[in-house]
Amino acid sequence: MANSSSLANRLYRGEANINIVGRRKMWFTIAGVLVLIAIGSFFIRTFHLGIEFAGGSEFSVPAQVAGKTITQDAVYDAVRTAVHAVEPNAQVNAAQQVGAGAEANFKVRSAALTATEMSDVKQAIATDLGVAESDISDQQVSSAWGGAVINKALLGLAIFLVLVTAYLVVSFEWRMAAAALASLVLDLLITAGVYSLVGFEVTPYTVIGFLTILGYALYDVVVVFDKVRENTRGITAGSTRTYAEATNLAVNQTLMRSLNTGLVALLPVGGVLFIGAGLLGAGTLKDLGLVLFVGMGVGVISSIVFAAPVLSYLKDQEPKIKSHNARVLARRAQRSDDVAAGGERTRSGNRTASDEVPAFAGGTTPRPGARPVAKRQGGGAGNRPGGKRR
Amino acid sequence: MHPGRQLGVLGLVFVVLYLLVFFAAGASGSWKQRLEPKLGLDLIGGTQATYIASQQGAPPNKEDMETAREIIEQRVNALGVSEAEVVIQSDNTIVVSLAGKAEEQLKSLAQAANMRFRLLTAVTGDVSSVAVDPPSAAPSAPASGAPAASGSPSVKPSSGAPKASTGGQGGGAEAPSPSVTPSAEPSAAAPSASAAAPAPVTADIKAQREAVAKKVGAAWAAAEKLTGPVDLTTDPTAGLPFKAFASLTGAEVNALDPAMQFNVPTISCKQLDQRPNGSIDDVNSTVVACYNGAKVQLDKAEVVGDDISQAAPQLDSTTGQWVVSLDFKSEGQKKWAELTRKAFNAGATEPCYIAASAFGSSGETHCSVAVVLDKEVISAPQIQAVLTGQSQITGDFDAVSAKKLADQLNFGAIPVTFQAGPAQTITATVGDQQLEAGLLAAAIGLGLVAIYAFFYYRMLGLVIFLSLGLSALLTFGALVFLGRSIGFTLTLAGIVGFIVSLGVAADSFVIYFERLKDEIHEGRSPRSAVPRAWQRAKRTILSANAITIMCAVVLYIVSIGQVQGLAFALGLSTVLDLLVVFLFRHPIMTVLASTKAFLSPRVSGLGRVLRSSQTEEPVSSRVKEA
Repeated sequence: MANSSSLANRLYRGEANINIVGRRKMWFTIAGVLVLIAIGSFFIRTFHLGIEFAGGSEFSVPAQVAGKTITQDAVYDAVRTAVHAVEPNAQVNAAQQVGAGAEANFKVRSAALTATEMSDVKQAIATDLGVAESDISDQQVSSAWGGAVINKALLGLAIFLVLVTAYLVVSFEWRMAAAALASLVLDLLITAGVYSLVGFEVTPYTVIGFLTILGYALYDVVVVFDKVRENTRGITAGSTRTYAEATNLAVNQTLMRSLNTGLVALLPVGGVLFIGAGLLGAGTLKDLGLVLFVGMGVGVISSIVFAAPVLSYLKDQEPKIKSHNARVLARRAQRSDDVAAGGERTRSGNRTASDEVPAFAGGTTPRPGARPVAKRQGGGAGNRPGGKRR
Repeated sequence: MHPGRQLGVLGLVFVVLYLLVFFAAGASGSWKQRLEPKLGLDLIGGTQATYIASQQGAPPNKEDMETAREIIEQRVNALGVSEAEVVIQSDNTIVVSLAGKAEEQLKSLAQAANMRFRLLTAVTGDVSSVAVDPPSAAPSAPASGAPAASGSPSVKPSSGAPKASTGGQGGGAEAPSPSVTPSAEPSAAAPSASAAAPAPVTADIKAQREAVAKKVGAAWAAAEKLTGPVDLTTDPTAGLPFKAFASLTGAEVNALDPAMQFNVPTISCKQLDQRPNGSIDDVNSTVVACYNGAKVQLDKAEVVGDDISQAAPQLDSTTGQWVVSLDFKSEGQKKWAELTRKAFNAGATEPCYIAASAFGSSGETHCSVAVVLDKEVISAPQIQAVLTGQSQITGDFDAVSAKKLADQLNFGAIPVTFQAGPAQTITATVGDQQLEAGLLAAAIGLGLVAIYAFFYYRMLGLVIFLSLGLSALLTFGALVFLGRSIGFTLTLAGIVGFIVSLGVAADSFVIYFERLKDEIHEGRSPRSAVPRAWQRAKRTILSANAITIMCAVVLYIVSIGQVQGLAFALGLSTVLDLLVVFLFRHPIMTVLASTKAFLSPRVSGLGRVLRSSQTEEPVSSRVKEA
């Protein structure tokens, strides 16, 4: 029997009451461990760079040999088989036809091979396709992407971070900017860590996906912080909840949105990943789908369990908030003597069905997900904590 | 604001955009062709050109190759947002691939763009054909005399010098076609000065010279004795001993000492033009080039392209001609002022003065400074003042060539020289299969989002779906139009970028609808909840999208290649999403809010928050699955 306290229902109402911010030590520990693992992996396992970064070998096979015409697919299959015979994990890019007519030949790029490996591969291709080995030529190719693109991408990243920090400081405040950046850095580190640990190939598309995550991760955080800002506006005027509690309320209120957003954003990316990896095997789609899926997934989670806790931690250091928190707690301690379980006096008028659910033991602490206002009809936000309306 | 008005604005945007798509920026062909976006290299293949590099005859070093690659990449990217691929192959080859048919664009890519400013020190005619075969000039003249003929009209006849190009043009038998003659004669002294100290040459060049000496036989000895250009005006047959030189290739001519290139009359401008790229780049040596149909000898380069800090194309308002304006770096400015002072103050006995007066104008004569780009003398104006500020290169520019030159100067010189191979067509790296898969993924993504939206928001899902459709149409139109107007090409990465933005676009709905739910939960009627929720959601959506747009703009400005394409796709779709949010979704919601059905759980799903859950079992169980 579904009742009003079923998690889904509470989620739907934004009253999930999950104590997220209160457990911030746990989140910080988890995040710290993950970051250490990621960084350790960077050094120990390093990254598996694709042809586009590390350079590679290129084989070209003429399209017409002795009156025989070879197809593009046949060349690709032959090269892939041959390369994988000597180097099972090597990346092999799709074949490309260069030129037309009698001059045409097919080029296939693979991960860098040694000289002996190359001659083995050539031999295998020649046998497979039935062409003379001398007709097949091989070359070393440099990185197509090279340092320039990466350097510029990093420069862009740096400029973006500076600008976005300025923007967040102006439109929010510096603590929020710091928390948002911390969560962004966490996203990037963990995503890179996953790549390093699992040994996924890092291709240009991975980098592109990585840059896409930037915008997305911050976007998500901003939405949560927007709600936090709304909930905590004028918080020091009242004395019902601490900053951390107000933040937790905001997280709970936006939880459904975060989950919805995460789902809606990950569904299409999942489609890309599914098609790319499932149906086509390796390739651009898989590279992009993978990095986006990992990064956006981490982004959604970290905006919930990392950004907000960091923010509340930073805010708790602020003198004004510190004294406010102390006041709230003192008042609550004083009252807990004469108030029985069942809620605060100040909020007795606002109770909804869900408020009747036995909430946190002790009852004096407002449940993290408790709504400040929940009148069924009319009046609306009559009893909102001060300053919440705009 | 009245909802109708906003919808009207959106309609107008659509009409304008699709008018642009169908009629603007060189739209042509059938209706279907006008709707084709420009696809990238990885999707439709393109054109590939190979450039084999060398550095003073030897294979270039690694760093220079990498620098060259980067410069070429920048030049390609200056052509538009078209994500070219530039790869170094083996140790001396650069392969450039561009989407679509791009032979034209590939042609000038690997030019070194070495800019040199050199004092013009001597002039002689380009008279090879006559020199080789004076008695029967007529039949042979039009062929090899052509360069001279086409060039000479631009040498101002006003100079009074009898340098009319009768040799080439008229085909007259004995017609001596000396160029700048009498006045050029004294210049013989000048080159000899520089020839006196021939630059030390590499073993490689030495070997080439020996080969040439063998080839031309007796003529070599005669040529070595020359101290100045052979004057054919006085003796039309004087060129005969050097006949063998006329058959040399450009590379062979290049191996010769500059003085010999200049002095031997049978070496034509045509041959000089065939010299490999970079043949006259050496800043420390005197070089020979062709200018306005005459051979000119140019002094050491006092000022080079590296001294330029900024070049820009400019339309000169007084003459109506395109010029390239130059700002020098501070050190370069000093050198430039020094060079112009030297040219301006040169006395009548100095070789450059004599040479300049040969080309001369009727008025006061000053030395000319030749602006040399790679093998070509762009212009050689007489210096009318000591130039201490911004300067201009004048020449036969139009808007396109002026921009090209400015780009080349800005992006720097390629440190190696290239031999261009033929341009070939290449097939896509990714191909139909991945394109289809990408589109399929987009369709699946859209489908999943739609299913989720309908499931969770019921009829409001329709609003989401419709506006995603509108976004898609706008995006497509923008793609087609931008592809044609600024060369934006769609790659697979771009497609995935758009797929991602699908999720982000749908997210702005989630923000809005969750707000709406909040407001209704708090007891508002839909009619009042909609504007309030909009007010609040608007702010969130704007600040969140501002971040995405900022990210896109920064990446677009700073980065190159595929990252730029991604940034463009991201920014474009975000802006279009905002457009749809403001001009479609909000007005539609305003309209919907006034309908009765809006609150029904079956229709919008929003009403659910009003009821107590006990009576709404089926609903809550479904929510659980969500």
